[in-house]
Amino acid sequence: MSRWNWICALALAAAPHLAGQAPPQGGAGRAAAGQRRNFLISRPVPDPAAVERGQRLFVAQCGFCHGPRANGGESGPDLIRSVLALRDENGELIGPVIRKGNPEKGMPPFPMTDAQIADIAAFLRSRQQAAINRNAYTIQNVVTGDAAKGQAYFNGAGRCHTCHSPEGDLKGIARKYEPVALQARFLYPETRAFGPEGRRNARPRRMPVTVTLPSGQTVSGTLEYLDDFNVALRDPSGEYRSWNRDGGLQVEVRDPLAGHQELLPHYTDADIHNVLAYLVTLK
Amino acid sequence: MTFRRLLNSVSLCAAAAALAAQGLDPAKLLQPPRDTWPTYNGDYSGRRYSPLTRINASNVKALTLAWVYRANTGPGASGGFGGPQIKSTPLVVNGVLYFTVPDHAWALDARTGRELWHYRWESKGGIHIGNRGVGMYRDWLYFETPDNFLVSLNARDGSERWRVEIADVKQEYFSTPAPIVIRNRLIVGVGGDSLDVPGYLESRDPETGQLQWRWNTTPRPGEPGAETWPNKTAMEHGGGMTWLPGAYDPELNLIYWPTGNPNPVMAGQGRKGDNLWTCSIVALNLDTGKLVWYFQASPHDTHDWDATQTPVLIDGEFRGQPRKMLAQASRNGYYFLLDRTNGKNLVSVPYIDINWSKGVDSRGQPIPDPAKEPKTDGVLVVPASGGATNWPPPSFNPETGLFYVNTTTSYSIFYLTDTDPRPEGYGGRDTNLWSASALKAIDYQTGKVRWTHPYSGRGFSNSGLLSTAGKLLFGGDPSGNFIAFDPATGRVLWHSRLGAPVSNGPMTYELDGRQYLVVGAGDTLFAFTVL
Repeated sequence: MSRWNWICALALAAAPHLAGQAPPQGGAGRAAAGQRRNFLISRPVPDPAAVERGQRLFVAQCGFCHGPRANGGESGPDLIRSVLALRDENGELIGPVIRKGNPEKGMPPFPMTDAQIADIAAFLRSRQQAAINRNAYTIQNVVTGDAAKGQAYFNGAGRCHTCHSPEGDLKGIARKYEPVALQARFLYPETRAFGPEGRRNARPRRMPVTVTLPSGQTVSGTLEYLDDFNVALRDPSGEYRSWNRDGGLQVEVRDPLAGHQELLPHYTDADIHNVLAYLVTLK
Repeated sequence: MTFRRLLNSVSLCAAAAALAAQGLDPAKLLQPPRDTWPTYNGDYSGRRYSPLTRINASNVKALTLAWVYRANTGPGASGGFGGPQIKSTPLVVNGVLYFTVPDHAWALDARTGRELWHYRWESKGGIHIGNRGVGMYRDWLYFETPDNFLVSLNARDGSERWRVEIADVKQEYFSTPAPIVIRNRLIVGVGGDSLDVPGYLESRDPETGQLQWRWNTTPRPGEPGAETWPNKTAMEHGGGMTWLPGAYDPELNLIYWPTGNPNPVMAGQGRKGDNLWTCSIVALNLDTGKLVWYFQASPHDTHDWDATQTPVLIDGEFRGQPRKMLAQASRNGYYFLLDRTNGKNLVSVPYIDINWSKGVDSRGQPIPDPAKEPKTDGVLVVPASGGATNWPPPSFNPETGLFYVNTTTSYSIFYLTDTDPRPEGYGGRDTNLWSASALKAIDYQTGKVRWTHPYSGRGFSNSGLLSTAGKLLFGGDPSGNFIAFDPATGRVLWHSRLGAPVSNGPMTYELDGRQYLVVGAGDTLFAFTVL
């Protein structure tokens, strides 16, 4: 096993909740998906217990100058992007600085044990990795709009009510999706929103298609494949059928999400936030 | 002299003669590529236009498979996530083809695809997202590794000659570019956008790897451009990677390099200002590395739209006058045409519908709409962070006067996730909602789209493009088809489904009167020819 794979495996082992998010598929696919989500992190993920101990120690002893998040404060520099802290593996570089201090820059010595310094190093590594791993960033509050205006848009300019209703298909929608996923999915329901919920609910849409053969015969079914040269469908009996598109074949795809697509160029950001504020009321 | 010693000196002479016959004279790079493809873009113009005509519009339907080579990175491979992806454009010199994936380089017989050697590098970390290929100088090859070593190999056997470290992997640099050889200079870029490191471009000695000059993509305090950053920390953590190879004008002795986006990527509150020279096209003196002019494609970018798309040098007419120009279809959705002697803007026109710009300023630079910067509750932006196009190389055909580019129209919600006055890393993220891809042919003088070929398949194309004097344009669609188009009209002339989407820029060369067309799709190289 190369060092790279080893690191990926280690990152996975240290973050079992990530491994659990993999879609249900074969073992190889699962490993690939795990690697894909962790490809940003190429150094070992520190022990969470050490990170927690290190954080407590850091906030109490270092946070006053370097900030509780270690990204710098009134008098101490940012340590997340510090070259010394990045080159450090387990406290061997930051340890001497902590113990000796830097009197010229106003940093007093801190008499810490090796174990404490290793914990500080683990905390700093976790802060670095939190900044590096953009796929794990947390989205803040997205429910900022006006529900009444959102309802008006739903029944007015957006024409959402022509396909959807709060008593019908959208009943309880706010219990089904967190607001971040709901925002992405009302804009385009096929979106793979962030997090386990987004992945679980990402289903490829089923698009009805009718193929008209040169003879005039028509075959309808669910679209399986379409490019500039070929089309394939699954007919109502479950049979897979495919054709070359040359030779006068006509392909008519009815995209059930066409309405969502057509709205995208027309939303204002206020429309989006208002509609979301309305949808989160549908509990 | 013993017989053995005589034999030895005869072999030495033979080796010396072979040495003279083999290898790549840098002067060869100044000529249009025929029996070679000696640098990433084929030549210094970045046009990816081949003068070859043996494969042409009249016989393209007879294209047949010459050979296939599968890049087997071996057990425990570190070729990339999801299997190795060939994003490099192969070089061909003296009948040998050289290509890479991260951590790996190969030499193949360009006539048969037979492997001559395979070099493996063991990276100590670094993101393995892609590698654009090798540079070549005489008998030596150069490639960059995910952990930021510049490695020189003996082209004959793949043995390592030397290695020098060009960036620090622990600071989250990772290097993807193909080095470019110009005369006795090796132009080397760096990458890495995870943790706010500053970008630079270097010239190194192809014999030793020693530094000749370094140009920083962000200024240091007191230098010109510093006024476009709020403070020292911001500019020293300002990003601006040199992900992709640039172009060179030997008459002006200028190199043209495109630069990456600023850091933190999506959180701009800690770097108010235009953030020079990120998201820019810069002209540097080849010998000194000094900035001669710049044009900023995305002032104060907050959408990950680097401007590292290939700068394409065009010698032709502009409004009836001959002019030396530079064109770029930039990731932010704008097509730019510049006078490459002085950087003066001639054309700035969006080539897809965009919603983030309030037009252009007096220099032709787009004015970003602050309302479309990432927000905590999300803003809807066209295009998504992946851009209207990305790194795959475009092509310019001097016969049609058209600039070809694979494009994506995409909608995305951009979120600001780090609201700290001193954000770090990306500081935000975007959710892709919907996208559609199309091949577009742009009139180089006006920026108007002359024809569009929308792809029926879903997703986006990572395929580069190649046009030839055989009145052909080659590229890949999102569905895995490799397609020959009529460059004048966009009509499809031929296609083959390769099993994976085209993942690099197609290239071509002629050996023994036979023209080969080589394209990478996933982990496999395909060579086509007409018998």
